[in-house]
Amino acid sequence: MENHTINVPGAEEFARPRTRRDFFKILAVAGAGATAASMLVSGKASAQTNDVDIANFALSLEYLEADFYARALDAGVLSGDALGVVKNLADHESQHVSAITDLLNSAGATPVSKPTFIYPADAFSNQASILNLAATFEPVGVGAYLGAAPLISSPDILAAAGSIAGVEGEHVVAVNWLLGVVPYAGEAFPEAMTLDEVSAAVAPFLGGKMLSTGGPKLSQAEAYRLGHV
Amino acid sequence: MSTVESRAPVGLDREETSRRNFLKTAAWTGAALSAMGIGGFGVAVRRAEAQGEYKSYWGLGDAAILQFAYQLELLEGTFYDEGVNAGLFKDAFLAQIAAIRDHEMAHADAIAKTLGQLGTEVPATPQFTFPNGSFGDAATFLKLAATFEPVGIGAYQGAAPALESKDILAAAISIHNAECQHRCAINILNLVNPPNDLAFEEALPLQKVQAAVKPFGITG
Repeated sequence: MENHTINVPGAEEFARPRTRRDFFKILAVAGAGATAASMLVSGKASAQTNDVDIANFALSLEYLEADFYARALDAGVLSGDALGVVKNLADHESQHVSAITDLLNSAGATPVSKPTFIYPADAFSNQASILNLAATFEPVGVGAYLGAAPLISSPDILAAAGSIAGVEGEHVVAVNWLLGVVPYAGEAFPEAMTLDEVSAAVAPFLGGKMLSTGGPKLSQAEAYRLGHV
Repeated sequence: MSTVESRAPVGLDREETSRRNFLKTAAWTGAALSAMGIGGFGVAVRRAEAQGEYKSYWGLGDAAILQFAYQLELLEGTFYDEGVNAGLFKDAFLAQIAAIRDHEMAHADAIAKTLGQLGTEVPATPQFTFPNGSFGDAATFLKLAATFEPVGIGAYQGAAPALESKDILAAAISIHNAECQHRCAINILNLVNPPNDLAFEEALPLQKVQAAVKPFGITG
């Protein structure tokens, strides 16, 4: 895990997670994450991971990001460079939602509906709180796509996932820039995340519940490989 | 055109490279999953439709794709190394250019290691050629950088679905992400605002990538 130098001139000091691992620790303290993670890998371990599950899981994540940035714009507390960046973030995530929905529809699968999201009380109270939350969301998006990519069967879905994953990576850089993190692009090998890591990361925004898809389901072989059994 | 003595990756963060073995970049790797396609997903839609580019990499095989990627990384790494050495940058700009240089060389090292594991020859370092004045001033250098990054992105994104090994795919998609992050960082240095100006990254067919890098000395 790489540590970045954080320098946010003039911004109020936040207890900002310095690394993704710290972020998960904080969430674990909150309690919701661990429950979600254990729910994901218990039970129906015999069901097969497939592209529809993965696409629906990605759709839920994109819904979360799109919803977050739309609310951030509505809050009216952004200005200058941050406003321009967040406008694009909102637009991109919304386009990702549409693209994945189209993919699912064209496959004859049912896209999940948009979940109801819950945010910390002060999430949209000022620019710094929005950017700090964005800085925790974006690496989760990257990690989810990088982790899911090798599980995707269809080359077309994989091509689309790669295209979106790269954009999420760009979002990490743009948010780093706004937060004064140097270098803006600091990772030679952005890291994949496991399914349960991603689920744990987003569970607090779902009130501790699982995503409505239940997330991609693990086969016994995959669960073994990922160290869950 | 000026010819630049190409360098082996030197003065890099070797620790970083060895710590992150190429194949370890994939958290979800392991045995390749049986490719059980979902009926209907063969139907390409929207952006996916524009990404049939991967078909131009089909049949090359993982080793040949990696050999090509290795040369691309060396080209980028050499370019950024020259940029650092030319003394064009300082402060945050220098930190970013040096970081990208280190990333590209780490990618090259990782790919070379994987080629070794596959028992495949690591290509000789090409004699790279850059346009006159490439390292004469920051603006010219950054403009060229802004043309390099989409080529690397397009190559990895195009090649990814053609890779047979899921381990190599996992590593390639991580490197692809680093290249995308570089593109955005170069946008920042070029004062493109907002720097996150793409909703979807673009794949490139093999022939376009080959044509783009040929003038710089990659003929494979």
